[in-house]
Amino acid sequence: MRVSLHINRRARAVDVEPSSTLLDVLRDTLGIFDVKEGCGEGVCGACTVLLDGRPVSSCLVLAPTAAHRAIVTVRGLEDDGELHPLQQAFLRHGAVQCGFCTPGMLLTGLAFIERHPGADREALRHAIEGNLCRCTGYAKILDALEDYARESKRG
Amino acid sequence: MADGVALERDLRLIGTRVIRHDARDKVVAATAYAGDWAMPGMLHAVVVRSPYASARIRALDTKRAAAMPGVATIMIASDVPRNTLWTDIPGQTTEVGPLRARLHVLAEDRIRHQGEPIALVAAETEGQARDAAEAVVVEYEPLPGVFDPAAALAPDAPRVHDEGNLLAHWRVSRGDVAAGFARADVVVEGEYVTQHVDSAYLEPESGVAWIDSDGVVTIRLSTQVIEHFRDVAEVLALPQNRVRIIGTYLGGGFGGKEDVTVEVYLGLLAWQTKRPVKMVWSRQESLLSRAKRHPYRMRYRTGALRTGEIVAQEVELLGDSGGYAYLSALVLLYSTVTASGPYRLPAASVDARVAYTNNPPTSAMRGFGAMQVVFGYESQMDRVARGLGMSPLEVRRINALRRGDALPVGQVMETHVAVPELIDRAWSALGEPTPPRAPHVKVGRGIACNLQPYGRIVWLHDWSSAWVGFEMDGSLVVRSGAPDVGGGQASSLCQIAAEVLGVPIEQVSVHIADSALTPLAGTTTASRQLYMSGNAVLKASRELREQLLAAAARMLDVDAASVDMIDNTVRAGDGRSLTLVELLRGCARMGVPRSHLGVYHAPAGEPVDLEKGSGKVFPDYTFGCHAAEVEVDVETGRVTVLKLAAAHDVGRAINPQSVEGQIQGGAVQGLGYALMEEVVLDQGINLTTSFASYLIPSAGDVPDVDPLVVESGEGLGPFGARGIGEPPIAPPAAAVANAIEDATGVRITRLPITPERVARALGLVEE
Amino acid sequence: MHAFDYVAPRSLDEALGVLAEHGEEAKVLAGGQSLIPLLNYRLAKPRVVVDINGLPLDGLSVAKGRLRLGALTRHAALEESLELARYCPVLREAAALIGNVRVRTLGTLGGSLTYADPAGELPMVMLALDAELAIAGHAGRRTVAAGDFFTGPLTTALAADELLIGVEIPMTRDMGGAVEEVSRRAGDFAIVAATALVRVDRRGRVDDARLAFAGVGPKPVRIAAAEELLVGSEPTSDRIAEAADAARAAVAPEADAFVSAAYRRLLVGVLARRALARAAARALAVH
Repeated sequence: MRVSLHINRRARAVDVEPSSTLLDVLRDTLGIFDVKEGCGEGVCGACTVLLDGRPVSSCLVLAPTAAHRAIVTVRGLEDDGELHPLQQAFLRHGAVQCGFCTPGMLLTGLAFIERHPGADREALRHAIEGNLCRCTGYAKILDALEDYARESKRG
Repeated sequence: MADGVALERDLRLIGTRVIRHDARDKVVAATAYAGDWAMPGMLHAVVVRSPYASARIRALDTKRAAAMPGVATIMIASDVPRNTLWTDIPGQTTEVGPLRARLHVLAEDRIRHQGEPIALVAAETEGQARDAAEAVVVEYEPLPGVFDPAAALAPDAPRVHDEGNLLAHWRVSRGDVAAGFARADVVVEGEYVTQHVDSAYLEPESGVAWIDSDGVVTIRLSTQVIEHFRDVAEVLALPQNRVRIIGTYLGGGFGGKEDVTVEVYLGLLAWQTKRPVKMVWSRQESLLSRAKRHPYRMRYRTGALRTGEIVAQEVELLGDSGGYAYLSALVLLYSTVTASGPYRLPAASVDARVAYTNNPPTSAMRGFGAMQVVFGYESQMDRVARGLGMSPLEVRRINALRRGDALPVGQVMETHVAVPELIDRAWSALGEPTPPRAPHVKVGRGIACNLQPYGRIVWLHDWSSAWVGFEMDGSLVVRSGAPDVGGGQASSLCQIAAEVLGVPIEQVSVHIADSALTPLAGTTTASRQLYMSGNAVLKASRELREQLLAAAARMLDVDAASVDMIDNTVRAGDGRSLTLVELLRGCARMGVPRSHLGVYHAPAGEPVDLEKGSGKVFPDYTFGCHAAEVEVDVETGRVTVLKLAAAHDVGRAINPQSVEGQIQGGAVQGLGYALMEEVVLDQGINLTTSFASYLIPSAGDVPDVDPLVVESGEGLGPFGARGIGEPPIAPPAAAVANAIEDATGVRITRLPITPERVARALGLVEE
Repeated sequence: MHAFDYVAPRSLDEALGVLAEHGEEAKVLAGGQSLIPLLNYRLAKPRVVVDINGLPLDGLSVAKGRLRLGALTRHAALEESLELARYCPVLREAAALIGNVRVRTLGTLGGSLTYADPAGELPMVMLALDAELAIAGHAGRRTVAAGDFFTGPLTTALAADELLIGVEIPMTRDMGGAVEEVSRRAGDFAIVAATALVRVDRRGRVDDARLAFAGVGPKPVRIAAAEELLVGSEPTSDRIAEAADAARAAVAPEADAFVSAAYRRLLVGVLARRALARAAARALAVH
């Protein structure tokens, strides 16, 4: 079936099998590898996209149900080649090791901070509880999020 | 060579918090992981696996499956040119005797563990491959199995392998243990049990293979060991130079991608179909079939004098190898050598065995056998302290190894052993004790020290090579076979080369992990890559620098000793200078090479007979101490770690941010081991094959780990660095167990420390 | 996943028609957080997936002393609802404990209730709230009390050709409520969860008490014995402790590969006490 997907502010019409997930369509049909498959059941967060501004597991969204909704992946954060301040914060604070969880962390953190500017570290910790990371121990990710949350409150 | 660079100036880059080039790619999701790859005409492949833990294959019928839509090929054991895989110590060519193990690529008739691979299916789509896999008909005859190593060593146990179930037995003995116990004022005993755990990297096993225009079977995959191209070649009966492995930036390795995973299957299918083939394991498949960490049953007996001095220790270890050996014998050797911890023992004996069972196979995982024993020896140290009424910190200080002391196996510590400083740093980092926040909560503190080898066993003659070269415009290229598991392995190489050759790090481009195009560097395992490949790059860079400065001296007509290269400029002592580009042009004119291949050979040693002999086994060790403050809910048994301070002597921190990240990440993985991770098996059947049942820590489960970096400068790596990849994972379990005893008086001797285990120890659970 | 036909009905009648036609071979898709993992792992192979997200089944309204929630109300909406904070804070507290933030974005009240996970928070809370579940089928509408809706592990009174369309909750405005749970990891399923609701009269005596548990058997349970013990007296810690003992004695939890029955029983006692204590404190604060 033909479905219109709005990805990073661009409308794309794709032919999809109803039994394909948004994750499958993004990766296999559209070549958008921002989303990763880590578990197939919505636990790890590596497949996170923002759907109408809120984080969802793209591995648990059937492609047809994503039609006409605003989908944001990590490549949607850059502005004219400039890294988003949260991406810059991740680099500054060493919050990236293997990088597999990074897109999910960025989107989840961003969505939360946009709704809760100036959020403190404990609120941020709770916000990313659903995004598993095996490399960093989370501390530097929280350093980056806290830094950006502070900045975002000022700005 | 292995110690600090003798440059006539201060270091500019080493020791700075460099932003890694791969981190930039990762924040914009530009990194092409092994699964992020497609080739025209690519097939998708899946593995058919045994649901039984112990069985014989009576019949195997692939006809119906082969006829299904989209199926390109189905392969079984008889289709494999050479169906045997040897798990040699990866990358080595030295004879390693009993450490060499064998398994089949695809099962022939005997099944020895659940998940054992039986057939490969390749089809146009993954869905079609899975449909066809479900249609492969296998008739099994279940056989009696054995699921516990002690039971496996009983005389009438079912034989997992014809040669018997005892896979390896290592013994170390030093001094007169009986006499030691006889004069001890206090003798404490303990039995400790650790569990199977999974690497649980976020990126599952994945790869794509194709045959390139030269007929070379090319496999692009997530691996810690590109040298497995040799294994693929052997299986395909191809010359080794007709197989190429391109290692991608991994989404985590942790030892789980040290053995072969998908590469042999991909090579077979690409070779059979002549088409590109992709294989990506689901999380379920990864948790089901990938090798686990060895569970151990450990018995410790420790004798000490009233002064706190330990005078004797006896250790028995029994590990579970599962259905196949993989790296079990080597893991056991690490356990045997480190079983007594970072302590000076006049008399010690270790008796370590590992047995086959029909449980899932066990193999390499971060810590590699030196991890599990920390739970044993550090629980014992606290028991000794309590038995003597002494502080747990003091007992450790008294017994800590010092330069010149030897391990029970006879290896002498050649460098300063920072254990006392690490204890002090970690303990004081806990700060003021946290008061219990409610009446049902108790708070306690505990510490644990460890030693972890870095670098390979010395008689394996480890080496690594690297190529460093300038382009005509001054940009620098580094080529190294070292895979990057996410710990900044590649970035560190850039940092080292840039430091020595006086260029900004942004001017360096690095190519890694291509068995055809980058000089081989050995495995990214054993905390060896910074040591070995760092030294290889250091050596190549220094030698290149010497060549270039000699040319510059000729160009400037000065003494070679008076020129230096820094910030893209060559400066002579008299103030005259050349730009780097001018130098490089001059070299081209004079026929002076602008590149260099460096090979670093680790100092080698003779094999040590652990039982009778005495000597150096590992090049060196990294020491650590973690201090934990925990809160125990004494009504439910739930444990919350409030603080964890993790101190390690890293020799020199090449990139302090990377070092802190390794410490924090490793410690959190250690907390997962301590509190929640467990592969639950029922007669060899894995009940935890999803992230909903196999639990790894989230941000809500762990505190911020306080990484305390001590730099004593005496490591064997570049600029005095030591390996830091593995050491931080080991101490948390014991530190937490010791803290729980401090809080509640109960000692937990079995991992993971679940709320129920604590509740039972507290006597709360009524049957 | 296996291939299936996909249908997105625009009206309730159309949806019911599809379900009537396909029965057991159809699966209803709401939030997808329970269904799609099964599809991804090939554990469910429906012939038809019926996407009901286009049906007008969301919304929260308060009328005539009852709170009405549409079956498609997302967990995130429950968590963030200011009306719920006012009228039924215990439901809000429970919703915040469900899964992770992504599950809460898409997961629905109806999905949770019809999935009927024995450890699920929402079935337990509905039981405690004496909720009535509104069901639509080809034959018409019916209402089932929460106590009769959950019939076993992952099974409910819903027939294959019926849809849960909403719940109705009698108002509990003057009640203090609390949800307590113990899980093995933050955001993981509860080992055992408890919901307590208490109301005290002007003399400080309990005149309405509810105590329900998840994770203690094939379905959520209310502990009438504990509730009866509390009514008529002040909610002192002794009284609460007696009620907790009654709860412990009343449950018959089962063991699984991860947690024993005896430990679940221990948690019942502890969580009963903690939930009742917090609920009572909130109830007393009402006056």
